[in-house]
Amino acid sequence: MGEIKDFHCTYDNSVGMNEEVTKGLGLTFPDAYMHCDSMVKLSKALKEHDGASFCELPFCHTVEAEAMGGIINYGNALTGPRAKEYICTSVEELLELPEIDFSQGRIHEVLLACKELRKQGEHVVLQVSGPFTILNVLIDAKYVFKGLRKKPDIMKEVFWKLGDQILKFMEEAKKYDVDLISYADSSGGVNILGPKMAEQVVEDFTYEFLKKAEALVDDQTMILLCPKTTFALLGMEKAILEDRKLFGPMSYGEGCIEMIGKAKFAGQMCIKNIGYQLENAVFKEVRLK
Amino acid sequence: MQTKEELLQRLSDCVFEMEDEEVVDVVNAYIECGYDPQEGMLQGLVDGMKRASAMYEEGEYFVPELIVCSDAMYAGIEEFQKYLPETEDNSIGKVVIGVVEGDTHDIGKNLVRIMMETGGFDVHDLGRDVPIDTFVDYVKNNEVDILCMSSLMTTTMPGMSAVIEKLKAEGLRDKVKVMVGGAPVSPAFAEKIGADGYTRSAIEAVEFAKKLVGAA
Repeated sequence: MGEIKDFHCTYDNSVGMNEEVTKGLGLTFPDAYMHCDSMVKLSKALKEHDGASFCELPFCHTVEAEAMGGIINYGNALTGPRAKEYICTSVEELLELPEIDFSQGRIHEVLLACKELRKQGEHVVLQVSGPFTILNVLIDAKYVFKGLRKKPDIMKEVFWKLGDQILKFMEEAKKYDVDLISYADSSGGVNILGPKMAEQVVEDFTYEFLKKAEALVDDQTMILLCPKTTFALLGMEKAILEDRKLFGPMSYGEGCIEMIGKAKFAGQMCIKNIGYQLENAVFKEVRLK
Repeated sequence: MQTKEELLQRLSDCVFEMEDEEVVDVVNAYIECGYDPQEGMLQGLVDGMKRASAMYEEGEYFVPELIVCSDAMYAGIEEFQKYLPETEDNSIGKVVIGVVEGDTHDIGKNLVRIMMETGGFDVHDLGRDVPIDTFVDYVKNNEVDILCMSSLMTTTMPGMSAVIEKLKAEGLRDKVKVMVGGAPVSPAFAEKIGADGYTRSAIEAVEFAKKLVGAA
């Protein structure tokens, strides 16, 4: 078996929400983060500002956790929604959290906004978070780390409880016409977990989870992996990269759009790295073994 | 009866081996033998944390191990504190630390806090998503040597600058040294906003802080 390499986030990509983007839209915050109509406006404004080839939703990594009971600070025009306070103090409590109801709340508004953007002819990247990112909203990381070391069986249950919710979110996304589902869990990267724990997570969860996600991919949907996840799969020899020829040099986002229906997983670059160009017209598909 | 050295070693091992429940029993055994609690903390618990920090520096331990080790250390300290009289302050400096408003990524900040405490600093942790005024008010109302701020998002980095500007406006900038950190933060950014320093890792942060308070 190989070694899991880290992908370094560059921080010079999509600017995210800021005054330049929100100015002139006539929106009030944090209300704008909560409703379908304003999400559509914001997402399109951000796309234009970044010069991207797709719209992104949501603007934070808290919708899944909120739908499971997490407490959120909705922020303002400068800083988006984020975790407010933890609701669990033991990993066992996580197993008692409710399942997500996709027909109500902010998560429902996000899905409606995706559908509306698609109706308006946009490509939509729905950012879906992995377990570590969701857990960050629900519980102090120290309980998660301690759980991974001392209660691995319970943590496996926790991961799969969350994993099942994430898969359902992906399924719902398809019903709302999302064509690009991005999956990222940077809080669980090898730079934080270290190699041994990162391997444990791939073995206990990530690989099997993505095999299930793969079954959701069809001719109108593709999954974009965070490169940290790609590297974890490659390092554990659970996936390979396969070159796919594009029509010509283009941005990574355009390349992903072109490969919808042709490839199941993208993952060579962070989708937020808007300026990244596939100069040689080669798209690297991530193929699970 | 176990010797003091044996119990100090067990205290150290409990932290190093992440035994946060056993450590409380060992603290009690140590106290029952009549040994000095202060020595138990420093030469037992903190020693274990120093060993863990060394392993982290060598790439053998990672963030989860350090966090769980520190949990064992804090469990032991909490138990020892029941037996400690109010003593004079032996810290090498006072630090206040927090993640700036808008940002909830606190793993790096927590590591710096743990390393600073292990290095002998008295650290007050303001937590994550800390408003500008909370940093400034703390400096205003307390004796603080170093203010540490972190951010993992480019969108929240300007909060560090805002804190420094407000410290200046309130005449507090000379009262405290300011250190900044976080993945997107750079030495150039630190210089631009008028911080006293930037460090790349928790280990470097402690060394830099020691220099700032003249304890290096």
